[in-house]
Amino acid sequence: MQIELKQVVPIPLKDKFMQRVSDVWNSNIIFKDKDWIKIKAPSGTGKTTLVHMLYKLRNDYEGTVIWGNKNIRDIDDKTLAEIRQSSVSIIFQDLRLFANLTARENIELKRVMQKPFYESDVIDRMAELLGVAHILNQRAGLCSYGEQQRLAIIRALMQPFNWLIMDEPFSHLDQANMRKAAALIAEECTKRNAGFILTDLDEDDHFTYSKQLTL
Amino acid sequence: MLNILLKKLIKASAGRSRFVLAVMGLSIALLLILSAVQVEADYDDMLNNKNNQDSIANFLVINKEVTESSNSASTTLSEADIASLKKQPFVQETGLLTPSRFKVSAQSVSNRIPFYTDLFFESVPDEFIDVKSSGWKWDDNSTYIPMIVPNMFLTMYNFGFAASQDLPQLSPELVKSLPIQINIKGPSGTVSYIGKAVGFSDRISSVLVPQPFMDWANKKFGGNQNTQPSRIIIKTKDPGDPVLVNYLKVHGLTTDSDKTRFSKLRKTVDIIVNFSWITGAVMLLFALLIFTLFIQLTIASAREEIVLLITLGAAPRQLQRFLVKQFFPSNIVITAIVLGVIAALQVWLQQILQGQNIYLNPVISVYSIVTAILILLVLWIVNFTTIRKYIRQA
Repeated sequence: MQIELKQVVPIPLKDKFMQRVSDVWNSNIIFKDKDWIKIKAPSGTGKTTLVHMLYKLRNDYEGTVIWGNKNIRDIDDKTLAEIRQSSVSIIFQDLRLFANLTARENIELKRVMQKPFYESDVIDRMAELLGVAHILNQRAGLCSYGEQQRLAIIRALMQPFNWLIMDEPFSHLDQANMRKAAALIAEECTKRNAGFILTDLDEDDHFTYSKQLTL
Repeated sequence: MLNILLKKLIKASAGRSRFVLAVMGLSIALLLILSAVQVEADYDDMLNNKNNQDSIANFLVINKEVTESSNSASTTLSEADIASLKKQPFVQETGLLTPSRFKVSAQSVSNRIPFYTDLFFESVPDEFIDVKSSGWKWDDNSTYIPMIVPNMFLTMYNFGFAASQDLPQLSPELVKSLPIQINIKGPSGTVSYIGKAVGFSDRISSVLVPQPFMDWANKKFGGNQNTQPSRIIIKTKDPGDPVLVNYLKVHGLTTDSDKTRFSKLRKTVDIIVNFSWITGAVMLLFALLIFTLFIQLTIASAREEIVLLITLGAAPRQLQRFLVKQFFPSNIVITAIVLGVIAALQVWLQQILQGQNIYLNPVISVYSIVTAILILLVLWIVNFTTIRKYIRQA
């Protein structure tokens, strides 16, 4: 399932973006299957806006976003849920964990929302790998941002997907944890034959990108 | 597992008191509505049940109106009159009253209570008689003539005649034990028989004798007078039926009007049933409203969680199913409990009425169960649409 953007411009930022040159805004691009895409985006260039548009969280844009061969504006609630459960996974910049559930419950929720992709012991294995095994039974609201970010990563990897969308996924992590997390993400994407779209502020070499764009 | 997590996220604790209120309202509403249905069903059952029909259904004796210009020939009922009456929807059964075609008198055999009276007999088929007595039979070998006497006669004697004539009052038991001399005047002179009252009745206001005796006696003593019947007894479900009343009026027929006892009961039952189900329906509406508010409040208080769940890929339908599972089972439990209570009340009522010789089915009516299922369906629809609506709004 390839993702295609046609002349996409967010309406609230339209005037501002029309004057700038961008690889993404107001142009035609195709993210091909299994592509590992990096989108470099300095602050204020609409990075999170793009992520939310790609994930069909907002509709206030001109142009068309196409998943596979479907304009995502035409996708109904039921199909959207199916796609989010089986084809497109996401790591939000603002993490979006349920503060009242424990770390494990947050991850488990995503595991059992659809037909489980992994057994529940995979949670422990990944938590061990990212160094958050000791906080699994703690309420997510009490975890630090760094811990929450790693939980959000594990959560996104619990489901089957063709595309993983990541919005500054390592913003709260130190270099060592960043490498471990990137390695895990790369491993999981390879295992699923999946592509990803990663947005970040700066250049990096966490992954072997197939395409690097500037917003 | 998903449901456990959802339960943690979408807590229904926000309006516990409202929930309790809604449950109570719903229980009372269901109780009122279902008992109204059950009472109506019981009532219908009583009307149609063979065991009860005789004690409850109404019997009307019908004859032509006597006017200034009529004579005994013009008040007889023709074959056509009877056939037409039989065809009417309000008529369940008909029976002809056979009058005696001979002169009868009765007198006391004892000097303690002396009396003498001229008399006439009538007879009807046995199924129209409400007195069950082993003495009510007659054949050629019988030693006495059994009679059923209208209660009214005894009352008239005890409170009118006896008091004015300085005679003792008589209890029904005493009258039954007294032999009475019956004199029948035939073409070949007067013959005496012994008669005995075997019971008292309000149904037909004349002295009744068994049909076989009447047939035999009419043949033996009767003259060649007109033998067309002039009175007919009908059995009807509802003597207050306007169709019946109208039919009688149009055809110049009349009946004993004091048959309101059962009509009054009917009215009382109707009032109670109507009051019960209207109150029940209003309460059901309010209970539904509170339920709806409760659901709305629960969803509103978990709005953030619901939005995030949907963002993460939960299908609205998944959440709806989960919420219906949270709210609806309580409705099923309430309905089941109320049906149980109604069933218990029915058994209780059946036992009470049995003491009064009214037979009632101890098992609750299928209509009550169907109504309960229908109400459950309404509840489900309200639950489901409310949940769907507010999930969409979340």
